[in-house]
Amino acid sequence: MQDLPLALIAEITHRCPLHCVYCSNPLAMASAHAELSTEEWQGVFEQAAKLGVLHLHLTGGEPLAREDAAQLVSFAHACGLYTNLITSGIGLSERRWHDLVASGLDHIQLSFQDSRETSANWIAGTRAHALKLSIAAMIRQSKVAFTVNMVVHRQNIERLDEMIALAESLQPQRLEIAHVQYYGWAWKNKQALLPTREQVAESLDKISAAQKRLMGIIRIDSVVPDYYARFPKACMGGWGRRELLVDPSGKALPCHAATVIPRLEFENVRQRSLEWIWLHSDSFQRFRGEDWMPMPCRDCDRRKLDFGGCRCQAFMITGDAAATDPVCSLAPAHGLIEQELLHANRGRTADHSSQKSEHAPLWVYRAQPG
Amino acid sequence: MELESSSQPRLAAGCRWAGEGENRTIVFPEGALRLEQTARVVLELCDGKRTFDEIVRELERAYDKSDPATIRRDAARFLERLWQKKVVEF
Ligand code: SF4
Ligand code: SF4
Repeated sequence: MQDLPLALIAEITHRCPLHCVYCSNPLAMASAHAELSTEEWQGVFEQAAKLGVLHLHLTGGEPLAREDAAQLVSFAHACGLYTNLITSGIGLSERRWHDLVASGLDHIQLSFQDSRETSANWIAGTRAHALKLSIAAMIRQSKVAFTVNMVVHRQNIERLDEMIALAESLQPQRLEIAHVQYYGWAWKNKQALLPTREQVAESLDKISAAQKRLMGIIRIDSVVPDYYARFPKACMGGWGRRELLVDPSGKALPCHAATVIPRLEFENVRQRSLEWIWLHSDSFQRFRGEDWMPMPCRDCDRRKLDFGGCRCQAFMITGDAAATDPVCSLAPAHGLIEQELLHANRGRTADHSSQKSEHAPLWVYRAQPG
Repeated sequence: MELESSSQPRLAAGCRWAGEGENRTIVFPEGALRLEQTARVVLELCDGKRTFDEIVRELERAYDKSDPATIRRDAARFLERLWQKKVVEF
């Protein structure tokens, strides 16, 4: 029997006051007037809870760009869902925070772009860093579980120790150190973001030292850049296996980036029930299980661990969504990744202070949905 | 950190129970754990009021066929593991 989903990622809006160069939102974003209404989202949460979903991750864009964020949390909480707010913190006034806590929010994840104000603002394309620090202090005074998320990449990874120290001073229960994954805007900015081999090795040492030192005080999880891994990540825990995502306009996706795959039609929660979409839609069935798998995945012992890797990454790099994820060292197309790494490891690490003055911009900032 | 006789273990911030009876699951920010019977009983006793000693005594009563030293050791190991994962605080 087909397993039912355990987590729902609700991208409640694509609007965001920040313009992060690594944003994983699709380049074609859902506009404000296409967004599901409060009642429509509530209907989705109710169905999810009935299906057995445990976690609801409210994200965006910036979920707080929606006025009804607390109302949505409160409804989801009443359905029995574990609610997690993934936010940049912008828009979180004391009043709103109070409402969210009272609504039964279980967990908040606050993201930081850097340990230093100027670079953080430079990465986010806006001045947000100082505000985030004061928001962290406010969160810490409540009982809501708190995770600090630090996004690392070529331009800031050398300050990892500083970023860990900053996180420590904010006293969260958890710290997530997430290397940028190359989707959406990050895909466009890959050359500026992909770290060198040396940077990655150094960062892994720093992370494991911090994990030892902070054991039992702050739990540190880290997401390694899969370009440097031997095997791919188990994207979304397997296609259509554990998680589903609903985008601002109600489109149900098996993965954040799935809209890049051509000839894949996505159902909308406005027309179909979540259960029907999960069990019967073509998009959720397409790469579910093992029947679609090519060689060498078909015969590989790791196929139950990584499910052949990420379909979107396979498509973006090889042009074939049913190919073995090219980051896998066994993939026929792995040479393409090796080429990228060769390029990334040539010459010195980019230094943004000198880059800034050049005419050619280092990267493009995430735009706003129309 | 060592679990002591007088420690009062409880679920850490952001961790809570979901579901009913056999299906009771412990949910935390990055996932969920469905515990087998004994583990569930241990964790249900972690209410932040009972000391570790009191928890062990209740377990001895519930599992009177098992060796008390083993019960104590297993419960301590289990709770320390969950402490490392930030699921339990004491
Ligand atoms: S990554 Fe940055 S720009 Fe993208 S949604 Fe998050 S805060 Fe906004
Ligand atoms: S060959 Fe396929 S299943 Fe095996 S490790 Fe690589 S991606 Fe995973």
